Amino acid sequence: MDMDTRQHTSTHAPQVMPSMRSSHFSELGDDDSSGLSMGSAMGVEGREGKPPEERVHGPRPVGFEGDEGERENEISHFSKLSAHWWDERGEFEFLHKMNPVRMSFVRQKLLEAARDDGVDSDPTHVLAGLDVLDVGCGGGLLSESLARLGANTLGIDASENNIGIARQHASTDPKLAPASPNSRLIYQHTTAEALLEQPKRFDVVCSMEVLEHVDNPASFLSTCAELVRACTLLRTLTSFPNDFVQPGGHLFLSTISRTPLAYFLTILMAEGVLRKVTSGTHTYSKYIKPSELIQFFEDYRSPTPSTAGLSKDSSTLADHLKSSTRPWITRRSDSYLPRTQAEVRGLIYNPVFGNWILAPKDAWGTLECNYIFWVRKPRDDETK
Amino acid sequence: MRPPPVLCRRLPRRVFSSVTPLRYSSTAAESAPAYEECDVVVVGGGPVGLALAGALNSSKAVQESLRITLVEAGDLDKIRNWQLPPEKYSNRVSSLTNASHAFLQEIGAWNYVQHERTCPVENMEVWDGISDARINFNASEMATTTPQTHHKGMARLTENLNLQRGLLHFLEKAPGVDLIHQTKVTSINRESDGPGAWPVVDLDNGRRLRARLLVGADGFNSPVRAYAQIPSFGWSYDTQGIVATLIHRPRGAYEGSNTTAYQRFLPTGPIAFLPLSPTVSSLVWSTKPDIAKALQASDTFVLVCMINAAFRLPQLSLQYLYDRIFEAQAKGTPLTAEQVQEEILWREKSHAIDQHSARSTSSTLAPVGIPPADSELFPSLVTSIQDGTVASFPLRFNHTESYLGEGAGARTVLVGDAAHTTHPLAGQGLNLGLGDVECLAKCIESAVLSGNDVGSYTALQPYARERYLINHTMMAAVDKLHKMYTTDFEPVVWARSTGLEVVNELDSLKAAIMMTAGGSGSHKSSSAELSGWGAVAKGVEALSSAAQVARASGGGIGGIVGTGVQSLVKRMTSERH
Repeated sequence: MDMDTRQHTSTHAPQVMPSMRSSHFSELGDDDSSGLSMGSAMGVEGREGKPPEERVHGPRPVGFEGDEGERENEISHFSKLSAHWWDERGEFEFLHKMNPVRMSFVRQKLLEAARDDGVDSDPTHVLAGLDVLDVGCGGGLLSESLARLGANTLGIDASENNIGIARQHASTDPKLAPASPNSRLIYQHTTAEALLEQPKRFDVVCSMEVLEHVDNPASFLSTCAELVRACTLLRTLTSFPNDFVQPGGHLFLSTISRTPLAYFLTILMAEGVLRKVTSGTHTYSKYIKPSELIQFFEDYRSPTPSTAGLSKDSSTLADHLKSSTRPWITRRSDSYLPRTQAEVRGLIYNPVFGNWILAPKDAWGTLECNYIFWVRKPRDDETK
Repeated sequence: MRPPPVLCRRLPRRVFSSVTPLRYSSTAAESAPAYEECDVVVVGGGPVGLALAGALNSSKAVQESLRITLVEAGDLDKIRNWQLPPEKYSNRVSSLTNASHAFLQEIGAWNYVQHERTCPVENMEVWDGISDARINFNASEMATTTPQTHHKGMARLTENLNLQRGLLHFLEKAPGVDLIHQTKVTSINRESDGPGAWPVVDLDNGRRLRARLLVGADGFNSPVRAYAQIPSFGWSYDTQGIVATLIHRPRGAYEGSNTTAYQRFLPTGPIAFLPLSPTVSSLVWSTKPDIAKALQASDTFVLVCMINAAFRLPQLSLQYLYDRIFEAQAKGTPLTAEQVQEEILWREKSHAIDQHSARSTSSTLAPVGIPPADSELFPSLVTSIQDGTVASFPLRFNHTESYLGEGAGARTVLVGDAAHTTHPLAGQGLNLGLGDVECLAKCIESAVLSGNDVGSYTALQPYARERYLINHTMMAAVDKLHKMYTTDFEPVVWARSTGLEVVNELDSLKAAIMMTAGGSGSHKSSSAELSGWGAVAKGVEALSSAAQVARASGGGIGGIVGTGVQSLVKRMTSERH
């Protein structure tokens, strides 16, 4: 993790005045080119000279640029619930139980990708040393797990209460507490968009159960995608003298599909009948189908390397890299999703045993409710 | 069933609100001593606690990421250096099922157990004390043996100390495990108010351990359970278990080796003879407390005579003998061995027992030549008892309401006798504990692999879910079997005395013992195991309700009693195939 982000540990979350919630984001559209326009918008701001903590924006969540009131509602909804984040039998029980399954998917895919890259990775240490961003970390359920597995983790959330709870909870754990010398976990009250202004990019970006709360998913997705690292030098230069460019980083998303079954389970049953989840947590119209996510990344191209904010190490490589990039997913038919580019898996809750199951790949009917999505940033020298 | 290893002075529970411990401070010289951060603190160094430490350490992922601390009040060095001459045996013996055996092999601890001191059980003779209806089961008959199971026999009798010593030697090779012995837990406190607070264990040597996960392997009077405020339910059986190491003559040339376990169900409780070597076996005799007390107060040779008689004489005569011993002790002139022997001889004559049959306790001749026809039906005649091995303990049924602490008692988990105590008639106490350990270790490993907090409820819940039901069905079945065999209820006793229905009951007992003793060798078959035990429990329940119907209707008990268990056994056999 670079020093820029490290510094945030010692500072408080930026105190944000409402007036600071600038409106320059509102120009962002929800078309697939928003990523590009956003990249240039950052450049225009010209905040490079300021210390990093000042550069961080207020809690301006990506994709909430529609109705200010509605956005505030979403944030305050989760702020009210923040005290319950770590009650494992309460409001967030489903999330607690889902966490190990999400983690095993993340590990599985990273391991698979590492093996595809020809890196001999130890299955138990596949996350070790990676820079991971958890967008919408909430109480830190996922961030803590990532940090425990050795990832340099930055958890961000638009709700200050959530960040407070997450920090407080991590501080009781000697392996995560900021005071402990080998802590890899940092929380920051900020937004994904604000992070875009900094040069820091991440090996892995996760955003779990956030997409279904976002008003402008297209803009949110391109922001997350831009935060994924493009390509880096392999750490073991000696063993790969001729192949030192590592393909791009990873983006993991989990959310809920917009189907009648999802409505029945997540809203009617969970909120209405069983009252396990506070009413108003979910909005059916915000749910996103897996096919829509895939479609988005079939159209989405990363901005060219010169504007994507490569780290110093890799900027010397820029010459070698072609500026034309391919979309993140290139598939020849609708039924085929290239294994090395993306994957969608259903998450099925078994009410009898009270646990979540990661559905097998391509199993029929498993993507009707909760699902998890992985997509990988293409190498910059890959052309279509 | 072993006495609680950690004798905890139960101090009133305090909350550290006034003291602010400086956890990361190195300059906290005059304030409260700093905590030592521990990932897993196991309280209790019995076989179950040690096996847990060993199992955790055998996982690479756990070894790399968790620091394991085990606290034991007793002297573990004594056990580590425990040594007995080959012909002497400790009186606490457990019958390790093939599943437990396989687990110990898998974690690599079995190699440290002295194999010569263990003995396979290849046969079991189980019979009813009233009707003499009898069932025999043999390891080779059991269709459960699969090619990958190379385990000899149905179970393996192992001294608890041999197992504990083996585990300690195994743990010597485990740098990640910190064994703290000769140290008592003085108190366990919550670190702070509010839910989810971490437990802090205070030791009498001044050390304070802050535990991410606190494991109670601390026996029936578990201080960890008290801290976690986990209620338990149960009852005392009004029964004492007498244990002793028995010395007997070797079996004759025509009798096979001493690898048969014998168990006779007397109305006062079962008496079991468990082979350890050709001339040594272990006794577990469950009986009424007054009888146990009288027997223990008697001369050793009186006890020897009574043990031999208890496997052979009809119940009526045994009761007569107990009464004679009570009377004599009340008068202050306890019976001598000769007097008891004389009484037994007289009773044998009156029962027309041939002095040369295996049923007779009088034959003092060495077994030469052709043994009596029924000699394999009874254990060898006991000649003496190893000095200082007679002991007794009360038998009870106890099961906690939960294995996991919640809320104020968060980050706690119970294993072994701290969670459940059962009647020893099926020899399952330690096996259940080892089953707990295996499951919990797997659970912790998978939590570590997915980056989960091993002290969290979510991480531990699969353990509780899997083990609670298995343990409960098994314990319920054993409990009901015990009650059925010790009942005074007339129709049931009558049904048993006819000998017609008992065969069926014994079948369900056989199923019960085999279910875990039988060990397909695969400890992964827990669901099959579960369904088997469930069937036993249900069948026995059907039996007792049938008996109640019969009580109401006043007759026809035999047929009704039989049907329940018979259908059960049929169902079970079909399930197993």
